[in-house]
Amino acid sequence: MKKHIQAFILLFFATTLFAAAQSDNISPQRKQAIDSLALEKVKDLSKYISIIGSKETQFSEANRVMDRAEELFAPGAEMGVSSINSQEVAYYPVRRYFERLMALNYDRVNISWYDIHYISDLERQPDGRYVGVVTIYQRFEGTSAETGLNYKDTTKKDITIYVEKKQTQVAGRTIEFWDVMLGDIRVTETSA
Amino acid sequence: MKKLSVLVLLIISSIQFAPGQGLYGPGQVKDDGRFAASTKQLNQFFRRFNAEESQDGLTRYYAGDEEYHNRELREKYINLLFDNQTSSIPQNLKQEFATLVNSENYPQFLNFHRENWFAEVSTVFLYKGKREDITLYMRLQPEGLGYEWVIDKVSFDSFKNFFNKQEGKGKPFLHPLSHELGFMNLRKALQDSKEPEDYTPKDYKPDYLTIFLYEIKNGNIKFETVKGVKFHFFQIENWYFEVSQFNRPGFNTGWLISSLTKYQNEEEKEVILNYIYDQE
Repeated sequence: MKKHIQAFILLFFATTLFAAAQSDNISPQRKQAIDSLALEKVKDLSKYISIIGSKETQFSEANRVMDRAEELFAPGAEMGVSSINSQEVAYYPVRRYFERLMALNYDRVNISWYDIHYISDLERQPDGRYVGVVTIYQRFEGTSAETGLNYKDTTKKDITIYVEKKQTQVAGRTIEFWDVMLGDIRVTETSA
Repeated sequence: MKKLSVLVLLIISSIQFAPGQGLYGPGQVKDDGRFAASTKQLNQFFRRFNAEESQDGLTRYYAGDEEYHNRELREKYINLLFDNQTSSIPQNLKQEFATLVNSENYPQFLNFHRENWFAEVSTVFLYKGKREDITLYMRLQPEGLGYEWVIDKVSFDSFKNFFNKQEGKGKPFLHPLSHELGFMNLRKALQDSKEPEDYTPKDYKPDYLTIFLYEIKNGNIKFETVKGVKFHFFQIENWYFEVSQFNRPGFNTGWLISSLTKYQNEEEKEVILNYIYDQE
């Protein structure tokens, strides 16, 4: 069954983006399809962040979700975080960022996302891969029962996406498809 | 099998024809228009300046689209691209600039891949055990199959203060018949003097980038962090403008024009560039 699902997913990617793979240039139509794939990955990440941050998530479950979230990223991806008070960027490996989020000392945490996003053009790198940036906004609310303090912030997240042409074998045939991976994320606290 | 084909087609069409969908779902926070108005990426600054996207930012306009480079849209966008709260750019100068770039006969656009724009990055490094501010000037260049940002210049006070070349009759020198002595006086010049730069040509300029790279490679300078970025544009004929990021409440936020100057000739342009690069 798992094999069938994998084949279906590959077929789906290949069908959606096969025409784009014919040439190295990405047409506006294909760019739109890639944007949608990138947004799906970002949507998955935002879902995982909400689960990891939630105090209702069990430790083992949070770890499992962190593993899944890490799989969205290219190796070596980092989070660069700055606040209103300090514009200096603090760097965290993705996993460390998730662990810090999980360990935040609040009794209740609510993470939600604004109904807005922005997707840049795709630019080609020297190695032939394409790179883009997706911008989203997150609202964080943490409540501490003991002190009764309520902390809120809104952060802008600029998420790198890498778009790469890959090949796979399906039933002895080589199929090319475009894959999207997440990369470094710049997290900026906003004044909102 | 037929059912599977229909399903695949359905998924593909839903992906291709719903570019605006994203994180929207239960529990989403509604933007009151501030984030929509904000120029969220420099990429959006380019697109708005050139009128290459819809007002909600979700549709990219390409050459051939009706709205692509539309003059009315550009007029709206360009007025929104100025910092209207802290920068003191005179209204008439903004108007002159906007009219020029959006003129009917000779409109001017920004181009990501063209020269004449660069980034100024404020960074912090550890140098001799102390945190020091170093400014890196970055530019985009073609490489391999695409493009890359490269460090073009460096400005660092410690490097600048390191060189103190004197001029005129009071300066140390190698006398004009030194050659007859096989330059034996180089010993005094280079071993005893603390300022060997005195023995360099008039037009000698220290290359701070090379020193910077040498010190990094020797482990004497270690990167700490980035603390600010701005961009300098010289792509519009006889105009210079600076783009900075404004993170503040309200609708006039994001990447905006923070400085605007009109120059008459190449000499004036050089003066502006020398000021930005801060090498002396």
